[in-house]
Parts: sequence; C-alpha cells; structure tokens
Amino acid sequence: MTNQVQDLRDTIRKAITSQRSKIVTPLSSLLAVEDAIGYVPREAVEEVAKLTESTVNDVWGVASFYTNFRFTPPAEHTVEVCWGPSCHVLGAPSVLKAILGHLKLTTEGEAADGGITFKYNTCLGACAQAPVMSIDHHLVGRVKAEEALKWVRRLHEESGAGAVRHIGSHGRDEDA
Amino acid sequence: MTSEEQINIVIDDKRVQTRSGAVALEAAIEAGIYVPYLCYHPGMKPFAACRLCLVQEEVEVEVEQDGETVRQRQLRPATASCTLPVREGMVLRTATDNVRELQHGVMEMLISEHPHGCLTCHRVDLCGPTDICQRHVSVNDRCVTCPKNERCELKESVRFLGMDLNSPLSYKTRGLDLEVADPFYDLDYNLCIVCGRCVRVCDEVRGDSAITFVERAGRSLVGTSRGTSLLQSGCEFCGACIDVCPVGALVEREHKWDKAVRVERTVCSQCPVGCQLNLEVNKREKVIRAVPEIQAPANHGQACFRGKFGMEYVNHRDRLKRPLIRRDGELQETTWDEALGYIAERLREYKGEQFAAVASARSTNEAAYLLQKFTRTVMETNSVDMDSNGRPGLTRALSDTLGYAASTNSIWELEKAGCVLVVDANVTEEQNVVAVPVKKAVRAGTAKLIVIDAREVELTHYAHIWLRPRPDTTLHLLGGMLRYILDEALAEPGFIEERCEGLDELRTSLEVFDLDAVSRITGVEAERVREAATMFATTGPASILYALDNVPQEQQPMNVYAMTNLALVTGNVGRPSTGLYALHRGTNQQGALDVGCVPDLLPGYQQMDESPGQHAIQAVWGQRAPRTPGLGIRDALTAAQEGTIKSMLLLGDSIDYSSGELGDGYAALQKLEFLVVHDAFLGAAAQLADVVLPAATFAEEDGTYTNLERRVQLLKRVITARNSEAKPAWWLLSSLAHLMNAPGFEYSSPAEVFDEIAQVTPIYAGISHGRLVREAVVTLRPDPGNPQPTQMLYSDRVSQGIQWPCPDADGPATPMLYESGFPDDKANLMPLEAPAATQLTTDENPLLFVPGRVLAQWDREVEVIRTDGMNHIQREELLELHPQDAAALDLSQGDAVEVSGKGWHVSAAAYITEAAHPGVVSMTTLFGELAARLETSEDPDPMSKISGLRVCPVRVKKIAL
Repeated sequence: MTNQVQDLRDTIRKAITSQRSKIVTPLSSLLAVEDAIGYVPREAVEEVAKLTESTVNDVWGVASFYTNFRFTPPAEHTVEVCWGPSCHVLGAPSVLKAILGHLKLTTEGEAADGGITFKYNTCLGACAQAPVMSIDHHLVGRVKAEEALKWVRRLHEESGAGAVRHIGSHGRDEDA
Repeated sequence: MTSEEQINIVIDDKRVQTRSGAVALEAAIEAGIYVPYLCYHPGMKPFAACRLCLVQEEVEVEVEQDGETVRQRQLRPATASCTLPVREGMVLRTATDNVRELQHGVMEMLISEHPHGCLTCHRVDLCGPTDICQRHVSVNDRCVTCPKNERCELKESVRFLGMDLNSPLSYKTRGLDLEVADPFYDLDYNLCIVCGRCVRVCDEVRGDSAITFVERAGRSLVGTSRGTSLLQSGCEFCGACIDVCPVGALVEREHKWDKAVRVERTVCSQCPVGCQLNLEVNKREKVIRAVPEIQAPANHGQACFRGKFGMEYVNHRDRLKRPLIRRDGELQETTWDEALGYIAERLREYKGEQFAAVASARSTNEAAYLLQKFTRTVMETNSVDMDSNGRPGLTRALSDTLGYAASTNSIWELEKAGCVLVVDANVTEEQNVVAVPVKKAVRAGTAKLIVIDAREVELTHYAHIWLRPRPDTTLHLLGGMLRYILDEALAEPGFIEERCEGLDELRTSLEVFDLDAVSRITGVEAERVREAATMFATTGPASILYALDNVPQEQQPMNVYAMTNLALVTGNVGRPSTGLYALHRGTNQQGALDVGCVPDLLPGYQQMDESPGQHAIQAVWGQRAPRTPGLGIRDALTAAQEGTIKSMLLLGDSIDYSSGELGDGYAALQKLEFLVVHDAFLGAAAQLADVVLPAATFAEEDGTYTNLERRVQLLKRVITARNSEAKPAWWLLSSLAHLMNAPGFEYSSPAEVFDEIAQVTPIYAGISHGRLVREAVVTLRPDPGNPQPTQMLYSDRVSQGIQWPCPDADGPATPMLYESGFPDDKANLMPLEAPAATQLTTDENPLLFVPGRVLAQWDREVEVIRTDGMNHIQREELLELHPQDAAALDLSQGDAVEVSGKGWHVSAAAYITEAAHPGVVSMTTLFGELAARLETSEDPDPMSKISGLRVCPVRVKKIAL
C-alpha cells in the first residue's frame, strides 16, 4: 500500500468516524467524505462499507443513486448554473450556452485545462435573483451571459493563485 | 401475531384456503390460479416493483339509490397482489378488463427495454435456429440469439397476456458489452428488465450483497460497485441470481446455447448437505445445467458453486469407459467379464487380515452397505471404511453423550435460532448451503453469531463475537465458556436435573478451566470468553455447528463432548432450532456410518459381540461377520505402508489421499500387491491399480444418500452415458460376490439392496425407495404450459426424504432427535480433560500457518487483471505475524517474505501486528481467486479437489524484492 493511498484512507476514516449526527448511515458517511475531500473515491466506498457493516455494492447503490456525488477529484474551481424553472424563463439558457461554449463543453464536466468543473444545478434557492449561478459556492444573481463569462474568465486568470478558496462541494465553507 | 391461522378467501369464484400472513399472490399460486408476475419470487420478500400482478378486490358497499340505502358489490381499484395481505372472506378478481388493460400497459413499458421481436412473434415456436427471420428483427435481437430462448419467463408472461404483434413502444438497445470475464457467468444487461430478483436473492437470501442497483431512474441497472469484477465484489458464485432471472440477462456460461430435452431431479453429490438439483439433460445425454429445487427440504432452492457449476465432470471426455487391467506394467482395456474374473481369482488370496476396502465419499447407501457386506462376508475381515472418514470422532462422539451418532436437528431450523455457535468450520465453502440460513438470520437481526476459529473464514465476517484462539486450543476455550456458564448460574438447572447425568463429575473436571488459565493458553481475552458464554447461554434457542478443522484428530471427541455439554447445560437439545450439527465433509458419510461401512460397527450401529442385533444381521446374511474390529481408513493405509495389508478395493479416489489428512495415501497404495479401483476417472489412485473399473457417477445411478441432518434422499438416474460401460458399485459388488461363489448377493436393483438395509438397520426400518417416492410435496400449477419462474417450473412432486430414526413403514420420521427423551433415558455430561499440548510444529518448520479465505476484504487494495480475456485477482497478500516472531526473523513492516510448508511456498508482505498470536502466522486469500482457478482448471472434477483450509507448520524467511 503506498503512502498516498494510506493517507487518503486515513483522511476518509477520520471524516466518517467523526460524524456528528447520531444516526450514521452509508448516505451520511458518503456526505461526510464528499465534504472532506470533495469527491468519493473508491477507497471511500470501501471504508464506508466497512464502517457501516455493509458491502461495497450496497454503498455504491446509494452513491450512484445521487447525482450530487462525484467520483473523480473536482477541479480547483466549480461553476454551477441553475436551470430551474425561474432561472430558465429569465435567461439561464443563454448563460449556459455562453459558459459551455467558453469551456468547450457540451454538458457537465471538467474543462479541458482542468481548472474548472461545470455543473448544472436544479435550484440554488435564490429564485428571486434568477437567473443564478454559483462560483465556488458563492452565488451571483441576475446574471447575464457576458457577466457570467467575465466571472469564468476571471477564474481562469486566477486559477492556481488561490484567490477563491476551495470549499466543500456541499457549499459549507470549511473556514466558517 | 399468533401462529398461522387458516383463512378462506375467494379468487375468481374459486374457494381458496390459505394462511394468515400470506399475500394474495401466494394464495393464488397455491390454488393454481395464475396471476402474471415478474419481480415476485417464492422465498423472497414481496417487492412490488414490476406492477404486473394486479388484482381487484370485490367489496360490498352501501350506496344511496333513489333515497334508499342499498348494498352493492363493487370492484376496488387494481392493486399489486404480491403486497396484498389476505383477510378472511376476501373476494378477488384476477382477470377483469381493467386489470388486463393495466397489465398490458405495464408490460409494454417493461418490454420497451427488452428486445421484443422474440416475445410477441406469432412464429416463435415455428422457427429453427437457422431460419431467416420473417419479422425483420435485427440480427442481435432475434429470439434464436437469446440463450434463454424457449425457457424465458418473460416471454411466457407476454404470451399469457396476449400482447399485440407490435408493441407501440420501440425498443432501444442499451448497447452494452456482454460481460464474460468472470468465472461461470455470462452477463448481458441489454436483456435485463430490472426486476431486481437477482439483487434481492443475493442480499435477502444469500446475505452476500455482491450485486446492487446502480444509478437511478431510467438508467438504473444491476451491477457492482464501480463496475468491478464479481471476483472482488464478494460473490460466492452460488448461481442464485441466475436461477431467479426471468430473462436471458444472467446465464451459465457452460452449455449456454444447449437446449434441454428433459429435466430430472436428483441429489447433489458434492457435499453432505443433500441439495436436490434439477439437472437439465440435452439430446446427447449430457448434463447441461443444474437448477436447485425450490421445494427441496435441505436446500430450499439454493445451491453453491460446487453444485451449480461442478457437474461438468459427469460429461467429461476423460471418463473411463471400459475396465482396465495391468499387463506388463501397463493398464490396458479389457472386458468386464475378464476384469471381474481376474479380481475374483486374485482376491481369494487375500481373504482375512490382508485385505481392506474403502468406499468413496460419494458412495450411495446401497454401495456402502454392499461394500461392507462383501468385505465382512466374502473377504472375512472388518477392515472397511469410507475415504472421507478421517475424522470419525466428529459424529461418533455424539453417541457417547446423547445416544445417536448424528446431528440432532434439521438444517433450516437454523433460520429461527437465536444464537449460533460455529466452531472451527469453513461452512461457506465446505457445506455451503448450511451457511445460508445462518447468514440470513444474522442479517435479519434475529440471530447472534459466535465463531470460534483461528482462521479468518467467511462466517467470521458475520460474527457478533469472533474468538480467535491459538490453533489447537479450542477445547480450552469451550471449557472456559462451560465453566463460566455453570459458575455464573447461566445454565438451565431444570433441564440438567431432569434430562442429564454427570453434572458433579463435569463440575470437578472444569476446575482447570478457570478463565485466567484459559485466556493465557488460548490467547483470547477473558472478557471476550465471558461475553461469548453469556451470549450463548442467554440467547436461546442456540445451535452449535462444528467441523473441528483446527483440532488434531485424537482430540476431536473431547471437543465434541465439550460442545455437547454446552448444549446440554443450557437446555439446547431436543428443542426446535437448537442442537448440534456435525459438519463432516463426505457427501454420504452419515449414510455410510449408518449402514455399517465402518470397521468397528455393523449396520445400524450394532455391536459385533453376541448382541440381538448381530444375530439378526447374521440371520439375514446367513453368515457371521468376523468378531474382531478391522482397520479404519487411516490405520489401513498405515498397515499398507507397513505391508500387513496387501490388497485393497477402493471405490473412488479422494483428495484426502494427498491432502495430508490421511498421511501420504498414495505412497501407501503403491506398496500394495493387488489394488482394485472403481472410479470415474483415471486418477492418481487408479494409476496405481492393477485393475481399474469404470464407475457410474451419481447422475447415472439410482440409490440413496443420507445427508448431515439424517435425511435419506433418493438419487435418480438422470442420464445413461453413451458408448460407456461404466457401472454403479452395487452392480460391481453383486457380480463380484457371485463370481466368488458367495450367496446373498442376488440383487436386481438398488431398491432391493435398500430393502435389506431396512431389514438389518432398525433406524432405517420404515424407509424404502417406494416410500421416498411416495411421500412428496406436490406443487399445484395451472397447467404445464403456463408461465412460472424456472425454479417453480421444475417442481411438481418433490420428495421430502425421510429423517431417521424411522422404525415403522407407516410411522413418522424424526426431524428432531431427543424431543421426548434420550435413548438411554438421560444424556451424559462428559467430564473434560485438558489435553496435553500437542507439538504441531517441527524444528524445520517452527511456525504455525493459519490459512483463511473470505469473499471480500474491503480495506485491502485489489487489482483485477485480465489474462486470456478472463479476470484474475492480483493483490499483495499479507502475512500476519506477531512482533516477537518478526523480531526473531529480523523483519520489519512490509518486508517481502516467503512462507514454505511441505511441498509448497508462497510469497507475501509481512504485516506485523499485536493481534497475531506468537508462533502463529496467518494469511487470508479471496474466494474469487479460488473461483477463477476452478473455472480454468484442467482437472475433470476440480470441485472435489479443493483442499480444505488446514493449519500446518511452516517456515518464514525474508526475501529480497
């Protein structure tokens, strides 16, 4: 076992054994892992199976059911665009088109240079501000296509500079 | 809820009697009324996913009509019958227009994900495999390209519903690749209708969860975690998923395209569980598939990798077809006449103490009985035994304490046990189906499981308490538990007082087993022993399963006494879901013992002295058996080595001749002057023989097996091997005796032999082949043309076997021993003697090696590689050892080491841990490796060549990488 894998397993174990909720389930454990490292690697599925006394297949059944879990490391930055009904009618399609075009993507995924992960979101919970997008879990409201592109470009420029801190994928700021 | 009550309901105007707790679908099936269903399967919890099994309930309601209240009968909305509990007086309709319309809609949706050219075609029964499809169905979707064509449950259901020729929904293939890289299985998820039966049977019934639903909604399919190989997903390759699949998605690879021309039911020959299997036979008289029988009492529709995939040896081209005789040092083909004549002539020279006979683990009761009769009356010696009888103490010791040398209860009672104690037994591999009710009960949370084993085996993963003593100290652990139970008043004094004797002697003998000493000797913390003892004594009903794999043979009886004591003092004998199960390895070992195929007892456990039983046997045989006990398998081989035994007759070969269980068996056989081997293959034993006789396999033989729950079950001849002169053992022995001018061997069938067994064996007196056929469970079906799950389709009349003792032809069988008392009035609590420590290691090999094998280890890195298109597991094995030993060997964590034992060596990485016992090293491998090895084996019968997990002495040395 290489040290890197061992470290990863240790991080995962720490995350899933220090859950605060009283009821520990495969789902709560997977969320804990995703919060800690931003994705669910194979090792996490195995460790959660061990902790919850189930099999990797049971855990995978849960993990693969939810589209919010990701199984590869996320890029440094995450851009999400809401495509819920309010955002849709107020112009989300043009925002989506602009960003996808800029990132040379056809659907969700990582941009070719690896710096940005793009995701659809069904509701960011700010319908009054529609259309809404989120840049590393910071919301931007009433966004227009040009403005959205500006944000994304800025991320590209700052990429690697650490201007926007990496935050867990469930939107809870680790420093908070 | 109280126990099951009779309930009367009406389905489609037919009065149906059912039981409370049943669901409407079950009641309908039992009454022979067909309701289409795809996700329900007998033996599993209702799932209500396919929505096909719709029914409407007819109720009386009060309605206002012209200002008056009148009562009217009305149909309620359609509902799934698999989740509709029955109520007294319920009235159901299964074929209303509304139901049929809904079912059509449901089915259309279902088959929009399955190629349906094959399902709705009117020509489906008319086309041959090479005909041009007149419906222009694309090549991949044609009915003839589905391995389940002509035995497809989905197709039968579609046709029952009378679906239109063209479904309005077009079918879109998923475009998935066939998965063929795992052993035994071919998986084509393009055909899957996601009924979930496979996932549920794996989880609910087998307790493995090796497969799961992946993804969600429209993309949901069956798969494994991250799409890994079944080899690493915890699959035990039992084939249960294949057996329940209603379509062609999961099929057996071997004979995938073969069509069965008939199906015959017999008893599996691979282990002593006694699973009934439906064997499909093709037109060339080959056994092509095995489907476990769902109504069978010992296996409840389950099988294991051996039974499901290990029948190929029956068809193997290397089968011996004609007798062979050694001429000029070479085995040459000959005729039966010549071979038998030669044997008869030669055997005359060796009558008496120079001769020994050994039955095969797979010999039927009839063969074993005739072999001992032949040996005793014709060869005039008692040296007759069974090749799997390396551990006679396992069952025999039970007769000293309880009365009968056999397991006390039935296998599936384990499902209802409150606590199961498993002692040194690798159940999942050796007697697989016995583990099924145990795992099921543990997973359901109704049973506690305590495992005592130095090895990491499958059941240790399910255990609430796993006590891992130093090898060879099991007895101390049992003694410690026993003493704690008695000291802490956890025993059942009423039961002991009334039904046992010898408590005081037992108490005195337990003085040496105080927990500190026990803990010191076994290396198990005292607190853990206390916990286990308390759990066992307070969580009734409790059962004990044991194989004593890690206990030296001479200590086995004492261990059995200890376990019997445990069961007795806690009152766990003679009640449902209690008792002791001796997990021996020979398929028909119980039967062979019952019919006297042992050197020191006559049939029916009768003594050889001047007892009434002996006289009765003498009267039937017309001759007296020799007075002095003969040699058992172990002693006979030693005597052959020493030259006192000069001739042997072997029925079958055995892994134990080379596994070390019986010493160096083949070397001993080589010393013989005259060796006759009756075997299906020219194996290692046959190659040493002077005459080799071709044996019929279990599939070509009529007879009976007695399984480990004392159930006598009928074997039926399934095939007649073509162009082969292979014969069953009973025929061989009768003919041979006849040639040697011995009277009393004039049998025309195994049934006649069995009648004689019943005559001389009081516990079998009420059993006959005729009764075994007669007493069967009859499954009602609408008619044979109607759709049913494959497993149900084969049921019809399923013999339930008869559990001995059954002394009267019209008297009952005995599923549970000692319910109303012990044969000697009271059971004996046997005093325990602490054994002197046995030296298991040698100077050359100073460490004890403890092998383990489990289905999965989730915390270990595994890589699956492909060689020749097949998956193989690659991972670094870890050798666990104690820091003390590591220091002595100058090893540090992760060093590469080589472990070598007698004739083998393996490399691994050192894993130094305080959890290991000093002087003991252990290594656990994955079952998947074994499965891959079995699949690719060149051996005609690889399943019988799996060596058990034996503790053995080794040496360890550091190697450079």
